[in-house]
Amino acid sequence: MDQLKKIILKDRYSVLVATIIIYMTVLMVEGLLTGREARVIDLENPYFDFDVRDWERFRQSRDDSGSTSPDSA
Amino acid sequence: MNSLLPAQFVALLRREVLENRTLFIAAPAVLALVLLVFALWIISMAPSARIAEGVEYLSIMFDGLSPAEMAPMFLMPAIPFIMMLYACVIIYLLNALYQDRKDLSVFFWQSMPVSNLGTVLSKIVTVIAVVPVFYVAILFVFYLLVVIALSLLGLSYDVQVAGLGYMFLAAVVSLLLFYVSTFLAALWLLPTIGWLLLFSAFAKRTPVMWALGVFILLGFLEDLIFGTQFLGNWIESRINFRQYIVLDLPMAMDRLFSYDMLFGIVVGAILITGAVYMRRFVD
Amino acid sequence: MTDIVEARNLEKKFGDFKALDGLDFSVTRGSICGLIGPNGAGKTTTLKALVGLSDVEGDLRVAGRDPRVSRHKLMEEVCFIADVGILPKWFKVNQVLDYVEAVHPRFSRERAEQILSTTDIPANKRIKELSKGMVTQLHLALVMAIDVQLLVLDEPTLGLDIIYRKEFYDRLLNDYYDGDCTIIISTHQVEEIETLLSDLLFIDNGKIVLDAAMQDLENIYSEVLIDAGHYAEAEQLGPIYHRDILGKRAYIFEGVDRNRLRELGEAATPTVADLFVAKLRGAKRE
Repeated sequence: MDQLKKIILKDRYSVLVATIIIYMTVLMVEGLLTGREARVIDLENPYFDFDVRDWERFRQSRDDSGSTSPDSA
Repeated sequence: MNSLLPAQFVALLRREVLENRTLFIAAPAVLALVLLVFALWIISMAPSARIAEGVEYLSIMFDGLSPAEMAPMFLMPAIPFIMMLYACVIIYLLNALYQDRKDLSVFFWQSMPVSNLGTVLSKIVTVIAVVPVFYVAILFVFYLLVVIALSLLGLSYDVQVAGLGYMFLAAVVSLLLFYVSTFLAALWLLPTIGWLLLFSAFAKRTPVMWALGVFILLGFLEDLIFGTQFLGNWIESRINFRQYIVLDLPMAMDRLFSYDMLFGIVVGAILITGAVYMRRFVD
Repeated sequence: MTDIVEARNLEKKFGDFKALDGLDFSVTRGSICGLIGPNGAGKTTTLKALVGLSDVEGDLRVAGRDPRVSRHKLMEEVCFIADVGILPKWFKVNQVLDYVEAVHPRFSRERAEQILSTTDIPANKRIKELSKGMVTQLHLALVMAIDVQLLVLDEPTLGLDIIYRKEFYDRLLNDYYDGDCTIIISTHQVEEIETLLSDLLFIDNGKIVLDAAMQDLENIYSEVLIDAGHYAEAEQLGPIYHRDILGKRAYIFEGVDRNRLRELGEAATPTVADLFVAKLRGAKRE
């Protein structure tokens, strides 16, 4: 225990890393136990699979992805 | 624990207020002044018939409602103040354990028999309980001036203004809701407070970059390694603006004793403990 | 217990640089100890370690406590003025007094005000409006009004003009020092504090190179001025350092009997400044 404390309190970086590890562990374990939603941000973006040879399909997929601009409604 | 003796702790809080009087007092006072001047400007532009009508309408608008029932309406004009409070508190927290290291006065503070725990707790209590007191005081004066101005206007147009007094009572009750709201919001955001203090104590320069950068990096790493987004989930759980306003006291009690609030306090306590230990490293 | 500071094998690294490299020393209660060394020798690191403001490895006890574990408890018994540690600029003079009064159980406001009344420091001014000399005076007044066992001063007169420096040390010695407390001062202006010290510590490259009581210096160290032509005789006795003065040469000896040296010329005790140079240069020549 004393040895562990010594390692954690060695310098500012070890304190930071230890704090963040405990923080993330608690956050994730609690999330899994209580069945919180594990994914909230959908990073799929139609711009990412943009293909210059298939301009028509790109426009189609952009409109389908739920744009709220008035001209697409 | 010696460092938590009341007299000493009060001195620590006093220090925070004296050092940050610009953030805690001048900023909301200037906001109140700007809003007052803006309101007067609007009134001066309006035709007099509309003004008389408006004051009369205001004085009867809440007829039949008790001040307690009216109070939540008066949180509306307080919204700019709540936003200002958050902005100032974020700046304060990022500097709280950084500024004195930068200007080297930390060697004076640390040469006093004050524990790191006492120092960090004084910053947190300042945010949770002390800063809102100044906002409440400034809002009180703000509402008082508005009511006086409206009454004078009403009298000059020969309008019944008794209802305005009643309205002021409701505004005063709303200040209680304001205080409870900001108090609970600070507890609700305790993990954020802990996070900012941790990096305020850690960074050798630009704590804001560290605090933001590590957070984003961590969210990215979590997604990459575990395929989960509990960090993102945590943000999503705190972005709804309605969480930051309570409209009556039973609602406040529900908030305070909710599971999510308690879990947030636990997580916040972990980060705050980190900040306390981080404070050992001052050079 | 007669030692208020006991340090054994202190080490501190900044990256690859060893700021403290196995530092051993102790400070006796009631002494006025000068910690003297060139810039970068480890003075500030050592003094910060004493008050728990620098994490060092090794055994360290100050006033019976480990400063790394219980800094805030220790600071009830120890006062510290850092070399660059300025008082917070936004404080007003009387607000600092309020603060220290509330925070420090051994602070006497009466005494602080009495000391301040002998200066021209206005109570209502902010610290940023005071001159550097006044800030130092104020800090000293605060510290002198606290009844502690140990006072640690790191280059307390840095950047002050000679009048303030004189006053500072006069005050410290006449108004503060009563023989019960211990004072540790670091400086590189040795001449100024030479007369008030009772103990001497030289530090270089993170190591103690000399640890002696002032009164013992004359028994250990001698300086002899030798005429040209007799250098060889002096060299035989193994001087630690020599320097040339106007065609003669001053040799400094360590642990050589005075009576023997008197045969060569007039033997005297070297000044602390000369001794300092001798110890440091001597060490580098080896």
